[in-house]
Amino acid sequence: MQYGMIIDLERCVGCHACTIACRAEWEVPVPYQRNWVKRLGPTMTDDGMASTYYPGLCNHCDKPPCVAECPADPVEMTFTAKNSKTKTMNVAATWKDPFDGSVQIDKDRCLGCGACADACPYGARYVNPALADDDSAGKADKCTYCKPRVEAGLDPACVQTCITGARIFGDLSDPNSAVSQYVKKGAKGLEVKGGHIGPNSRYYGNKKDMGLLFADYTPELADMASVKRRAMMASMVKPAMKKAKDIGILGLAGAMLVKGFSENEDNK
Amino acid sequence: MAFNLTRRKFLQTASLAAASVPLAKVVSASTGISRSALEAKGTFGDKTVTGGICEMCFWRCQLVGKVRDGRLMKLEGNPKSIDNGTAICARGNAGVQLLYDVDRLKYPMKNVGKRGEPKWKRISWKEALDECGSKLKKTVDQYGAQGICVFPHGSSAKYPMHYFERAVGTHNVSEASFFQCRGIRDTAYVATIGKAPGEKIDMPNTKVLFFIGDHLGENIHVSHIKQYIQGLQNGAKLIVADPRFSASAAKADIWVQIKPGTDTAYMLAIMNYLVKNNKYDKAFVEDHTEGFDEFFAAIKEWTLEKAAKECDIPAEQIKEVAEMLAANAPHVGIHPGRHVSWHGNDFQRQRALACLTGILGAYYVKGGWVPAKGPKVGGVSWAKEDHGQEFDLNQDHQKDEKIYPFKPPGTPTELIRDCAISGKPYPIKSCVVWGQNPLQTIPGQQKMKDLFNAMDFVMCVDVMPTDVTAWADILLPEPSYLERFDFIKTGTQWDLSKEHQQYISARMPLVPPMFERKDQIYITNEIAKRMGHEAKIPVQTIEELVDKSLATANLSIEKLKAEDGIHIQPGKDPYGVPEDFTVMLFNEEIEDTGHPGAPTYIAVPDTPEGYARLLYGRAPVHTFNRSQNNVWLHNAMPDNPVWVNDKVAAKIGLVDGDTVGFVNSEGVESRTTTTVKVTAGIRKDCVYMYHGYGSANPLMTIGVGAGVDDQSLITKLAIDPETGCSGMRNNFVKLIKDGKVLDLSA
Repeated sequence: MQYGMIIDLERCVGCHACTIACRAEWEVPVPYQRNWVKRLGPTMTDDGMASTYYPGLCNHCDKPPCVAECPADPVEMTFTAKNSKTKTMNVAATWKDPFDGSVQIDKDRCLGCGACADACPYGARYVNPALADDDSAGKADKCTYCKPRVEAGLDPACVQTCITGARIFGDLSDPNSAVSQYVKKGAKGLEVKGGHIGPNSRYYGNKKDMGLLFADYTPELADMASVKRRAMMASMVKPAMKKAKDIGILGLAGAMLVKGFSENEDNK
Repeated sequence: MAFNLTRRKFLQTASLAAASVPLAKVVSASTGISRSALEAKGTFGDKTVTGGICEMCFWRCQLVGKVRDGRLMKLEGNPKSIDNGTAICARGNAGVQLLYDVDRLKYPMKNVGKRGEPKWKRISWKEALDECGSKLKKTVDQYGAQGICVFPHGSSAKYPMHYFERAVGTHNVSEASFFQCRGIRDTAYVATIGKAPGEKIDMPNTKVLFFIGDHLGENIHVSHIKQYIQGLQNGAKLIVADPRFSASAAKADIWVQIKPGTDTAYMLAIMNYLVKNNKYDKAFVEDHTEGFDEFFAAIKEWTLEKAAKECDIPAEQIKEVAEMLAANAPHVGIHPGRHVSWHGNDFQRQRALACLTGILGAYYVKGGWVPAKGPKVGGVSWAKEDHGQEFDLNQDHQKDEKIYPFKPPGTPTELIRDCAISGKPYPIKSCVVWGQNPLQTIPGQQKMKDLFNAMDFVMCVDVMPTDVTAWADILLPEPSYLERFDFIKTGTQWDLSKEHQQYISARMPLVPPMFERKDQIYITNEIAKRMGHEAKIPVQTIEELVDKSLATANLSIEKLKAEDGIHIQPGKDPYGVPEDFTVMLFNEEIEDTGHPGAPTYIAVPDTPEGYARLLYGRAPVHTFNRSQNNVWLHNAMPDNPVWVNDKVAAKIGLVDGDTVGFVNSEGVESRTTTTVKVTAGIRKDCVYMYHGYGSANPLMTIGVGAGVDDQSLITKLAIDPETGCSGMRNNFVKLIKDGKVLDLSA
């Protein structure tokens, strides 16, 4: 199984409903974002005057470059599929789910170093400072394909609010799914220049619009040397982080955080 | 980046995340993986409250709220809705940020400083209402009811507007939704087909959509956009006339890059071509129109070549459009538009749209103009009273005729402003502003300020400290649409080809009001008591008003609550032309008032050398100027870049992202700056920006100074001669970069 999202540019009107619904659902603080809409053009192309949108989000890639860079200590995790099959893997604080193909983060083990965010060629990750604690400036955050909502039988928040039905979510490995039908019709991911990481958020549109999108937003792989430097720095401060968690300071820090904010609210 | 979020605001947003941290991890049943306690819970598990009706714009989608520990976390479309369904737009989704905006008005305030430079003092409701009641009564006692002028907007302003018009008895009411927006459209269609057209195009089932300036996609109303995209998905062709490659032009089959102000000439040429070549609907014209011969005689000068020259477009393209319309008639949607107060020649353009629809036979047919048959719900308000014509500023007493014979309801804005500023023909000495922000809505900001300065008393009622509130003596805070009862919203299923259904819903609060905010019934009634109209008060509470209205449809608030906020009942087939339906191609009544009885093109002033015409339009994330302080929406589009043609930009050395200010042809400079968007997608003789930016009020801590206030540059007034409405696209600007004024000559 591989979850994927289709963005149908023929239907998209660039209204931003998806981005704001996501912000509300997952309490994403301004100016950070789990998804975005950029307007492209109007500009003259070989196919005539063009203007379209780049509604972007995590691509939950086949080979996610972010996952490999996480410096957190790997732990053994057992994943369970819908059909009760299990799979045990050693994973750092972010991983690709072996059953649904989504890329997820464990915020408890996240060091907040931002290496994963640097590694993502799409800029789909950010470090959420609202979750900062004594040892980190925040926790990595991004689109989860609304995993908790999907597990509860709901559509992702962006899909539910989309006015025109331009966002379609489903299983790309099921040839009969609506998303697979779109892939057959020509929906394509924004694959990185000269690489193959297999983005699973895919775009469908006419030649002119797709041409403009791919010309403007085909990304390059990040400079992994600087990503690795950041990851290494983060792993050096890990022991303090770990100690803090072992004695439960993190929970205390969380409580202080809440108190600090509520005091601030009273002063407004 | 023009990101000026204050730390306090940021923390307020962030605290939502921190406060919701649960103590224990949640273990997912389906994956066995436990979720971090730091992970946001998601609102889908929160308590659902029903009965919300949006008012981030006037389309009023039906909502549910997600409430956690008494706090509204998220808004969603009501799954029971047959209109918007579970979808709501960016603004609808951002409603929670209006609700909890720390800049919102909280208490009654008195201005102890100057108008325009206020010093606010918190006062009690009693003091505030005593002040409003006594000052307004003094005006009426001294100058008569006509001494009060009213600038209302939105559903909360309806009840007080009726009070001042009906019980107090002033004609001097100017609604921006009419005089600066759609009033021209409505009266032009009334003068043509006897009805206001709304935006009732059967778009899902049409074969061709024809837009004059409509920019759906940047202009977002949920069910309307659903209809539009469904139509395109079903294979409809799209024709868009716009000087700019708008969001709609980007989806169009034919983009008509028309010269601004010439749309009527364009349509006259299309109609002339259709008639001359026998490509119009003869049966419909025979059965359902009047004045065909006079109409044809009046438009026959408009050859393709003549219009091509006037409109600066190829004659061949006009022919192509006419042929496409004819080939698909009557299943063509000639969109009536919405904001149409553009050039001061707009009544005639709207008439042309209505007549074009007529000669194509595109009324009451699949894909044409089709008014859905909605349910009937009676309204309850102040009793109507006849106050005579003596103090009606639209009445020319010497000639015994109307100055603007086809004005929408209320009194044309300039008649009120001129009278208030000059004191002639009579004094206007008090001003009530309710939910409108005339400084950013009505062209001529200085004139508006002159009006306020001429007043003995100014009161404002609003949710936010908009620009106009700085001119109030007394400023009163209302609950938002999420915290109060009021509006009754009715309609049908969004796609007319589907099972015919009707719905009735009423706005109910999703959370209780906070601070000392009071609703429109309370405020109006308390003022009415102080002005001596206690006996005329129609209802005591907003719930009573809603219940009495609903009772006319055998419903009540309780019944609606039991139906999750929306009552659904069987509907009726809307197709089929009523026997007595008539399109007045030539209208003698218009001719009798001294205006052209057949749709007529009136040229607008040309762009002066060195300037570009200032065009403006909707941003998909904003409504008018009302949402500019919303932190989520601001973040989505923090300023309003000015579109400049790429060739013009290259000639004067402007590049994408440059920071510029403006100066208009009357020497008025913008208060702030914005960025430049260099694009091939706009004509050389215009520039374009989103409307509704650049608030001047420092109490709007997010919106103040963000982008440029387009209205501040619209100082040259153009008045539509039939309607008295404002034309706002006859202003011309140059850009200012690094202190240097740049010529925009093409």
